[in-house]
Amino acid sequence: MKKERGQAKTMIIDRTPWIALIGIVILLVLPVFIQSPTFFQFMILILWYAYLTTSWNLVGGFAGVLPLGHAAFAGIGAYASSVLFIHYGLTPWVGMFAGAFLAAIVGIIVGAPTFKLRGAYFALATIAICEFLRVILENTQKFLGFDINGARGILLPLKGHSPINYQFLDKRYYYYIILVMLAIIFYITYRIAQSKLGYYLTAGGEEKEGAEALGINVAKCKLIAMAISTFFTGLGGTFYMQLVHYIYPRGIVSLDLSFEIAFIAIIGGRGTLLGPIVGAVLLVPAAELTRTYLGGSYEGVHLMLYGAVLMAVMLFKPRGIMEPLEALYRWVHGKFFLQPLTQTDRGE
Amino acid sequence: MDIILATIINGILMGSVYGLTALGLTLIFGVMKVINFAHGSFLMAAMFLTYYLFRLTGIDPYLGLVITLPLLFAFGYFTQQVLIRPVFKIERDVREPISVLMLTAGLWIFMDAFALALFGAFYKTIRTSYKGAVIHLGDVTISLSRLYAFLTTVILAILFYLFLKKTRLGQAIRATGQDRDAARLMGINIDRIYNVAFGIGIAIVGVAGAVLLPFYYVHPVVGVVFDIRAFIVVVLGGLGSIPGALLGGVIIGVVESFGAQFMTATWTEGIIYAMFISVLFLKPEGLFGFKAEW
Repeated sequence: MKKERGQAKTMIIDRTPWIALIGIVILLVLPVFIQSPTFFQFMILILWYAYLTTSWNLVGGFAGVLPLGHAAFAGIGAYASSVLFIHYGLTPWVGMFAGAFLAAIVGIIVGAPTFKLRGAYFALATIAICEFLRVILENTQKFLGFDINGARGILLPLKGHSPINYQFLDKRYYYYIILVMLAIIFYITYRIAQSKLGYYLTAGGEEKEGAEALGINVAKCKLIAMAISTFFTGLGGTFYMQLVHYIYPRGIVSLDLSFEIAFIAIIGGRGTLLGPIVGAVLLVPAAELTRTYLGGSYEGVHLMLYGAVLMAVMLFKPRGIMEPLEALYRWVHGKFFLQPLTQTDRGE
Repeated sequence: MDIILATIINGILMGSVYGLTALGLTLIFGVMKVINFAHGSFLMAAMFLTYYLFRLTGIDPYLGLVITLPLLFAFGYFTQQVLIRPVFKIERDVREPISVLMLTAGLWIFMDAFALALFGAFYKTIRTSYKGAVIHLGDVTISLSRLYAFLTTVILAILFYLFLKKTRLGQAIRATGQDRDAARLMGINIDRIYNVAFGIGIAIVGVAGAVLLPFYYVHPVVGVVFDIRAFIVVVLGGLGSIPGALLGGVIIGVVESFGAQFMTATWTEGIIYAMFISVLFLKPEGLFGFKAEW
């Protein structure tokens, strides 16, 4: 069992860069063939979720804990960059880093005391932070002198087509931006998974005491993962704001979004590189369809799908959809290419 | 002065219901070391069950417990048996069973969304014979339905305590909570104990739902309010502690009651979260230092 897991992981790392590269090339040339704005809106949504879940995966997947409040960090990023833009005219290209740093600081504040406790405490703390932040945002008109308008939310001043202000009229720009962002977070995750930190995180997530006995500062590794993860989630928040130009507390700092992020990553395969992306590609369109056909009158009905699929995955394929996909890949590889990849484990 | 007294009393009455919800949560945590994220959704299910029982047959929520309790016990028992046990088994030796947390989180979201699709996003209330009835204690006015809820909580908590301490099944539950391997060696069927503990936890939530309905509303996501309160209560009182759960519930109730009296209601929620986060960070073992009972 353990062995199989380790072996499967090496395999993913071996092949993933190629799969990812092919994917990125396809996505890069896609706008040449398809022009429909609806299609891009759709693709941007999928890529945005893939980006958020990949960020989540750094801490939720590799560090072996369960963050259930990541929407809070997206909210911090979105609010910070927008407030700086509105008040000082600071371009969101710079402002987004301020938001991301703020998100990372909050992430560290949440993680520092709770990573030492049982896993459930951390999960509870992240839920609490998300809800707390929403309550603060909904009830504050002015925060440190910045107008945030409470529950009404803030509207981004529109500048038309203004690349310097991170505002575009053509959706394709956003498509390329989120694609690049996804590629960056994917590359970072890939490097971390291969690095010492990645191995420490996996070790600490699977066997905390054992890892500590070997001299690994598990809590510190988890904190680093948390800081990186929340930083990029913050950048994702700014992207969302620039895309929709309008934000209100319940719209982004919600448990619904937090759960969506966590669930997509878990269903896809947490702790795997491609899992969160596979999850987003499969679930976001399915959820959008459910939302369109069922959820017209009720907000949140599409979450039924997420909950049901998540439970099924936990029951039958705890490692997510990546598990059967990898088996298929291995089978295809063994059938049509040279020798099977799993030869080392045959003797056991 | 009277306002303050009334606020405190109302807070205690409401807080007892929070305590009752948290009691089931703390039992399940104490025995299985699993936070049941779907706890509030079970409360929601219990409230809808009570609601429709009342609407269709006119049976009073308290009387309806005869019907709803066995149903909810079975609901909990089989949820554990069918959904949680297989996942739990894989992680038996893992100290921090994350997959089970995810499973219950999935159940939470699923049940809430399912109820939304089934019942619609309407607030539903019932009208019992004692709705709106009050008694006067000096200058303090107390709602009868809340008083009943409080008394039920007290009685149930005593019964539950005696059950755990005196009966063989209760002792087996505690033994499993203390050390599952030793309990198994003593011939306790721990799988069954988990099922029973989960069933009892959900049945207690069923009582909470029944006593809540006469003065509250039911809505597909009503569980979230109580879910998050229950998490706060158990952490405040110390995870796995029974007196801690009840006392924690009362504290939250009183804080909320004061908040509602003296500032905007929405800020009260903020204060509760702030309390929760500070306890989690500063004193995660709980405010009172109660040891877990198991």
